[in-house]
Amino acid sequence: MSYIEVRNLKKNFVVKKKREKGKLLREKETVKALKDLSFSVDEGELVGYIGPNGAGKSTTVKILSGILTPDDGEVSVGGIVPWKERKRHVKNIGVVFGQRSQLWWDVPIIDSFKLLKDIYRIPDKAYEERLGELILALDLEDFIRTPLRLLSLGQRMRAELCGSLLHRPGLLFLDEPTIGLDAVSKLALRDFLKWENKEYGTTIMLTTHDMEDIAALCSRVMVLGHGQKLFDGKLPDLLERFDTVRNVSVKYADGDPCLKLPEGVMTKKTEDGLELSYEPAKLPTAQLLSILQDAGNIRELTLQPENTDHLIAAMYKELDL
Amino acid sequence: MRSYISVFKMRFRMELQYRGAMIGGVLCQMFFGLVLVALYRALYEGHPQSVPVENVVTYVWLQQGFFRMILASDPELLDKIRTGDISYDMCRPVNMYGFYYARIMALKLTGSIMRAVPMFVMAFLLPKGWGLSLPASLFSFLAAIPALMLGLLCVCAIENITVAFTMITLDPRGIQGLLNLLMMILSGNILPLTLFPDSWQKVITLFPYAQLLDAPIRIYTGDHGLESILGVYMLQGIWIVLLLAFGIYMWEQNRKRMIVQGG
Repeated sequence: MSYIEVRNLKKNFVVKKKREKGKLLREKETVKALKDLSFSVDEGELVGYIGPNGAGKSTTVKILSGILTPDDGEVSVGGIVPWKERKRHVKNIGVVFGQRSQLWWDVPIIDSFKLLKDIYRIPDKAYEERLGELILALDLEDFIRTPLRLLSLGQRMRAELCGSLLHRPGLLFLDEPTIGLDAVSKLALRDFLKWENKEYGTTIMLTTHDMEDIAALCSRVMVLGHGQKLFDGKLPDLLERFDTVRNVSVKYADGDPCLKLPEGVMTKKTEDGLELSYEPAKLPTAQLLSILQDAGNIRELTLQPENTDHLIAAMYKELDL
Repeated sequence: MRSYISVFKMRFRMELQYRGAMIGGVLCQMFFGLVLVALYRALYEGHPQSVPVENVVTYVWLQQGFFRMILASDPELLDKIRTGDISYDMCRPVNMYGFYYARIMALKLTGSIMRAVPMFVMAFLLPKGWGLSLPASLFSFLAAIPALMLGLLCVCAIENITVAFTMITLDPRGIQGLLNLLMMILSGNILPLTLFPDSWQKVITLFPYAQLLDAPIRIYTGDHGLESILGVYMLQGIWIVLLLAFGIYMWEQNRKRMIVQGG
């Protein structure tokens, strides 16, 4: 059996709608956050978990971390049902919610760490060792004695991550950990996660909207939409499925000529020249290039693959999300 | 147990940081104390009551000194519930009720001790009939201390129930306003319970709110003999057990039905 096993997981939320005119009571509406979700994750895997807003990603993470009780289905994490044996389960997991904070606002972060040490009953020696390691890896030395309220977002995120890893969890949930970070902090965070995963075999489940996070970190990616799993596999395989479009931008020396292009090619005029997108499967690249060359005197031409965000957007659209 | 002591210490230390609030609180409570004392002295001029005026004045000062024990809630804790940061606390291997109980206790204990000590010093220095009197005897002083401790346990349990209600309503103001009104009146903060009609007192003193400060103050001023002191302890104990049980039950129910909204 795999480390994480999820079978036929279902979760509904009851939402009260705004009261309509002429009606006394508010109507209730059931939102199906998860409908029949199943997957499994092996120990030491680094899984990316993506999907549009409201797809059920956070709900899954909340159930797996023991915060929410599902309506139906089975979940086992290392042999434990999270919501049934909450205290035993949470000892071995670490969670980072990118938009929330676990550290105390008004006190130096080292004091928050000491509290976590007591909460998880980490022995003194193990704590010192681990803290030293994390301070080094996450570069916390400069602000470890600074109250949280004075830290920048990037510093705070690193401190939050440190707090979640002090007790050496075997399983780490990251819910949008790179939200709002600058490029340097993002890269540092990714490097750290890779290192943690490799060094200690920590299983990591990463929720994000940042495709670069996934590309840099995850060997496996799961796509969730409308509470269902739509894809489960390697990122290149996912991209290949939807990576059907190429973009060409072309600039002519003496004004844009009138192009006679076959059907299926989208043209857009910009200040700088023309932008075309086409599907190589339908129109071979060489053919398009020769059409462009015949039309006039080309000054500049670039050929680009579709960027990942567009691909994901196209995928969401195609899957009707 | 260590995690609960640790969170207690943390909240305690945080509370010590707010010294400006402490000075403001002391001044405010001194002012209220003086106004109330003047009011009761005026009342006694016209129509003396069965309770000696010195006792009423002492009652007022003790109530004002421990004001933060009665009316103080942890804004950070309530914010956590409102914003959903509470989800982090749910991912900890601790009992949520105990964890928050320790936090609330630290807040109430630090807040009231920090204010009570300077206030009592000042109130002792006021002229006789205006200031705080010494306890009826050394024995009543010593007997009042455990009653105060039990009162603290009681008020923390009540506060934790308020917090549990906040888990349902999300906004603490409604339920807090309601419960605080009950608290202010029935704990004797606005009008000393000793001045209520005797028939009322028989009932009011049985309520949990009377166990917080009214019971220890009555022991301090020597209203209770040895036997009735034991009775007071017992009544306090019963309420503590009931309130703890209700609070724990509410937290358990909350955990089952809880939804953390948003991503």
